[in-house]
Parts: sequence; C-alpha cells; structure tokens
Amino acid sequence: MADLDLLDRAFAAIMARMVRSGRAPHYTELAAALGLPVEQGRQTLRDLIDTGIPAWLHPGTDYIVSFPPFHNLPTQYRITVAGEQKWFAQCGFEALAVRWLFPGQTVRVDAPWLDCGEPLAIELRDEETLTVSPVEMVGYAYSQVGGPAENRPWR
Amino acid sequence: MNLFRSEEHARNWADFDPAQAQTLQPVAQWAARFSAPLFRERTRPDYISWLLAERARQRA
Repeated sequence: MADLDLLDRAFAAIMARMVRSGRAPHYTELAAALGLPVEQGRQTLRDLIDTGIPAWLHPGTDYIVSFPPFHNLPTQYRITVAGEQKWFAQCGFEALAVRWLFPGQTVRVDAPWLDCGEPLAIELRDEETLTVSPVEMVGYAYSQVGGPAENRPWR
Repeated sequence: MNLFRSEEHARNWADFDPAQAQTLQPVAQWAARFSAPLFRERTRPDYISWLLAERARQRA
C-alpha cells in the first residue's frame, strides 16, 4: 500500500485532471504527474481505488471508469460549466455534487428522464440551487447507495 | 441513482423497485445530502488522509 501522502497526491492529481479536461488520466500519465516510475504509478492507482472511495476501474484493466463525482465513460448526466459541456457525472446524485469542484461557477446538469427520454435540467452554484426543471423533480435509487461496485454503472 | 420528472415518472420506470421506494425524495433533499463534507472536501490536497481519519472518527 502506498503511503498516505502519495495517495493524497494521486487523488488530487486525478481530480484536477478531471476538472480541467473532463477525462481521467491513464496510469502512465499519473506516474508522470507524481514523478514515479510507470509501474509504481499503476500500483498507486490500484492502491487509491482500494481505499474504498466510490471510484472504480474497468474490470481486468487499469482504466479509470469512474472517479466521483465524475464518470470517465459517458453517462446520461451531462455537465456544463461556463458554457462548456465536457464532463459526465457518475450518477444523478453525484451530479448534484459536481458544483463543489467548481466554486463560484454555475454547474448545469442535463439528462433525459429514464422513463420517457424527455429532458430535465438543474443548475447549481455553490450553496444555491438556481433552477430545477421540472420543479417536481425527484431522485431515486433502486439499489442501496454505495452498494456493490459491479452494479454501480447501471443503476 | 437517477433523477426523474416526478414521483409518478419514477414509479413508471421499467427498473423501479417498490422495495426501494423510500429513496424517492425531492431533488432538493438529495442536493442537501450531497452537500456533506464527504463531497465538499474533494478539492483539498489531503483528501484521502482526511477521509480515512473521518471514517475512523465515525467508527470510534
């Protein structure tokens, strides 16, 4: 297991990359960002996932699939900040937490309703919920929040 | 973990499970839940150290 300082730096590097670009780094890029040999970068990524944060790799690979609140694989939850739509949220609930990564900026979440495909949208900025459309919007989880990792992408 | 137009629309979803109906809540309540420190603190440079310490504190 990597030491805590290294895990802190790995988490911060991945999150910063996702905020900046909407994409997670490959472990070779993570290794470079941390000044590590490639193999140590890969092991650090695995150790970071093993801390139990609700992030995961594609099964059998070292590719980051999800790093909440973001998702490296497109989901129906499209995130727009400052007019740019280049992020996807891990789920509808984590979409509501993206705002904490963009302080002072309006974060817009666009998604289709799963029952009929019609659009919904919500805008948040820091502590404020600016718009909710439609106003009757609800959240629902059909499995326990934070449940088995193998199910998370498809809830 | 999805968002729906209304409770009725959520109940019409093909994957709706009545056993989990207690998770049906207004989006404002979910927004409040996802305002907890666990989510807000993700920008801190020592997030993993902080998170593990929080977990230990909560278990104590």
